[in-house]
Amino acid sequence: MIHLDGVSKIYDNGCVALSDITVDIPKGDFVFVVGPSGAGKSTFIKMIFREELPTKGKLIVNGRNVGELEPSEVPYLRRNLGIVFQDYRLLPNKTVYENVAFAMQVIESSRREIQKRVSHVLDLVGLRHKAKNFPGELSGGEQQRIAIARAIVNNPVVVIADEPTGNLDPETSWEIMKIFERINKDGTTIVMATHDKTVVDAMKKRVIAIEKSRIARDQVKGVYGYED
Amino acid sequence: MKIRTMEYFVREAVSSLRRNGLMSFASVSTVALSLLILGMFLVMVLNLNNMASTLESQVQISVYLQDGLSEHEMREVGTRITKLPGVVQVNFIDKEEAMKRFKQRLGEQQSLLNALGEANPLPNAFEVKVDRTDRVKPVAQAITQLKGVENAKFGQEVVEQLFALTRMVRIFGLVIILFLALAALFIISNTIRITVFARRKEIGIMKYVGATNWFIRWPFLLEGMMLGFGGALVAVLCLNETYGVLIHQVYESLAFLPLIPQYPFITNISVVLLVTGTVIGALGSTISLRRFMKV
Repeated sequence: MIHLDGVSKIYDNGCVALSDITVDIPKGDFVFVVGPSGAGKSTFIKMIFREELPTKGKLIVNGRNVGELEPSEVPYLRRNLGIVFQDYRLLPNKTVYENVAFAMQVIESSRREIQKRVSHVLDLVGLRHKAKNFPGELSGGEQQRIAIARAIVNNPVVVIADEPTGNLDPETSWEIMKIFERINKDGTTIVMATHDKTVVDAMKKRVIAIEKSRIARDQVKGVYGYED
Repeated sequence: MKIRTMEYFVREAVSSLRRNGLMSFASVSTVALSLLILGMFLVMVLNLNNMASTLESQVQISVYLQDGLSEHEMREVGTRITKLPGVVQVNFIDKEEAMKRFKQRLGEQQSLLNALGEANPLPNAFEVKVDRTDRVKPVAQAITQLKGVENAKFGQEVVEQLFALTRMVRIFGLVIILFLALAALFIISNTIRITVFARRKEIGIMKYVGATNWFIRWPFLLEGMMLGFGGALVAVLCLNETYGVLIHQVYESLAFLPLIPQYPFITNISVVLLVTGTVIGALGSTISLRRFMKV
């Protein structure tokens, strides 16, 4: 599903974020990307949805060579990816329902399809009863669940999450992880950058640790492995 | 593009116009003012042109004959003039007729002519009309060469001065219009920039969920076009009203001034202004979008 072959990323200012990364993430995998701050986790995540371009090497996501993608093809890559951020990134002036529907609207889905799918994913994250509320009226955990609903509403093959529990208390974090686990069980690949030791240690999923811009560790049922 | 998507674009554009009420108002006003001035210049230039052409088409050549020609000789000259290329009408004005006209023109000062006694110093003459204005000069020159012709004159100078004036107004107008168009462009692009900035979060999310660039652009493009069109509409309404009043006034007091009738003249100018306004709006938002779309 995601394949990196000797991928390096050097920013314009000369800063090396990733160097010579080779890793394969098959379909249906659940991967935690861990490591100290500034080690290259974010760059790794951002390259998958082509927020950043690899400087060297080959990066294949869902059969597309990300490095050689025309700008006009990027939207079509992203339609197969669901992206979840630490700060939720919901639109405050749209209701919960509209926020989720928005992701389908912009790819021009039919109204009926939108109604069906939005209700379904709101059920999945357990917030159908908040459909008419605005994000400001919800707790952080609820907002993140809406963001997840939005990320999966278009049936992505990969969900990419950048510190999704970074702003949440442990209990709420667990609820969020349960949702990710359920999505993963349905066959969706999940790649998650995180600092959450408790979560990583308890989930027993594959862990890729990035240190000093290189892969330091790649364990099948891994642990967080840092003290913070 | 689906109709529902278009609906969405229009809704977004309109709601954004409302949200930035003050900037929208400023944009519409600037466009309206610029296009109103553009419209006024168009009206002026076209009317001056029309006047010059009308005058030009009325230009005739006065051919003065030498004294002492026989009637046969004079007829001979007339025939030759008629045969020149482009000549459409030749009228013979004899000395007596010329004197009658001259007296008429002098009006109350006819007594000046008493000094002449019975003598009539005016020559026999032909009035010659040609089919095209560019033929006036060569025909006049050809006539001068004819035997029995003293000289041939025409009122080209007035026409040329009028055209020179038209040219000047046109150049001056063009410069002003250019500046105003740039000002309108600047204001609209700024308005759109504010809108884009206010919605950068939304644009970011749209990009992450896979919206194409055109899908993101359309509402802003529409917003710009609406601003441009709105401004043009205000200008068109003002211009139509003003020209109507002007025509009315001129017909009452200066009926000889050949103004172009209001319709379809103003309708045509309105189309030009509305298209120009819309294009300026579209250009303005394009400028902003190019710089701000790199999310």
